[in-house]
Amino acid sequence: MELLIENLPEWVPQFFWASLQTLQLTLASFALAVIVGIVVALLRRTHVVPIRWAMVAFVEVGRGTPALVILFLIYFALPDLLPALSLDSFTAAVLGLGLQGGAVLSEIFRAGIDAIDRGQREAGISLGLTPGQTMVDVLAPQAIRVVLPPVGNYAIGLLKDTSIASIIAAPDLMLRAKDLASSSFLPMQVYVLVAVFYFAMSYPMSLLVGQLELKLARHRH
Amino acid sequence: MGFWHTMVEVFPRFMPVLLEGAGVAVEVAAGALLVALAGGLVLALATLAPFRLIRIAARAYIELIRGTPALTQLFIIYFGLADIGVGMPPLAAAIVGLGGNGAAYLAEVYRAGISAIHRGQREAALSLGLVPTDVMRYVILPQATRIMVPPFCNFAIQVLLATSLVSAVAAPEIMFKARNLVMETYLSPHVYLLAAMLYLAVSIPMSHLTARLEKRLKRAR
Repeated sequence: MELLIENLPEWVPQFFWASLQTLQLTLASFALAVIVGIVVALLRRTHVVPIRWAMVAFVEVGRGTPALVILFLIYFALPDLLPALSLDSFTAAVLGLGLQGGAVLSEIFRAGIDAIDRGQREAGISLGLTPGQTMVDVLAPQAIRVVLPPVGNYAIGLLKDTSIASIIAAPDLMLRAKDLASSSFLPMQVYVLVAVFYFAMSYPMSLLVGQLELKLARHRH
Repeated sequence: MGFWHTMVEVFPRFMPVLLEGAGVAVEVAAGALLVALAGGLVLALATLAPFRLIRIAARAYIELIRGTPALTQLFIIYFGLADIGVGMPPLAAAIVGLGGNGAAYLAEVYRAGISAIHRGQREAALSLGLVPTDVMRYVILPQATRIMVPPFCNFAIQVLLATSLVSAVAAPEIMFKARNLVMETYLSPHVYLLAAMLYLAVSIPMSHLTARLEKRLKRAR
């Protein structure tokens, strides 16, 4: 404990800085995951069968493979196949976590769209809206309310999962912790402190999502 | 030499090594699952306990575990504890880490299952003369179990995928073996693709079975 307190002035600023890197990694992966998730969810509704199959395969592979394996495939395996595709570790981590997140989010979005009554869609069409307009103006605004809490929970999970990116040496909290642990020979103190930093970011997020869940549940009645 | 040509050539050499890792992964997953199932039930009951202190301790454990990355927890257990003299071998650290992590998640599943059983069931059992612990054991839990089976199955899949993380604490599972193979052969695309296929071979059938089970249980209700 004394060793932890003694080292706080040196470690805390470094962890603050690394927290920003973790947030950056989380935000970039989240943005990619939302885009991929929307595209995949919409493409799964197409009438072109091969595209639909490709999307189903993407979702199954994305959800059924550990994030670590996906990161290794993108960071180590891809450049061995095509040297032009060698990415820096941060980009590889964003790409890996974002694509996997897209598979997860597309299922949430699909459930959200399905949860909106079919009549809504038919009403939109019969009022003369095109299918695209029906999606954007009628279905999407209602689906967003349904999907917000699960998307929030996904974001919290993602924040914690970015720690896996440290294994491919992407700059983040966990990588900083590993460096400090090996330079200070105080793994216990360092890893407990880094856990505090993760908690300080994820706990407020989970309180927020909990509030949102309550609010939306109340609205529906 | 083409990619697939090499793949066919190395397959008989790589697969037994990776399968050996898969055996360890299943061992870790099974151990962690048992710890999580037992620990989760204890935690869930503790959050419903009549003593304030026990309730607070259980809540704190759940929030702390859910608010920090599993990888950080594994590092605290494997590197941190060893440093203060409570070291354990990689496999034990992996099971304790993933199991202790899973218990916090399953506690919520148990709690949701228990609270989903109608309050009247509890009152009926109490008025029939059962003591509160018997009510829980003979009336609430048997019914709650049925509701909880699908989330348990989904959790089992997640634990299996999460075993990839314990390669970071030197437990000789699939990804650990894969990294060694890559160091020997420099064939990272082949090795990591085979590893991904191993995970998918288990996770995809499992998630389909779970989805079917979920549908059947819903219909039965």
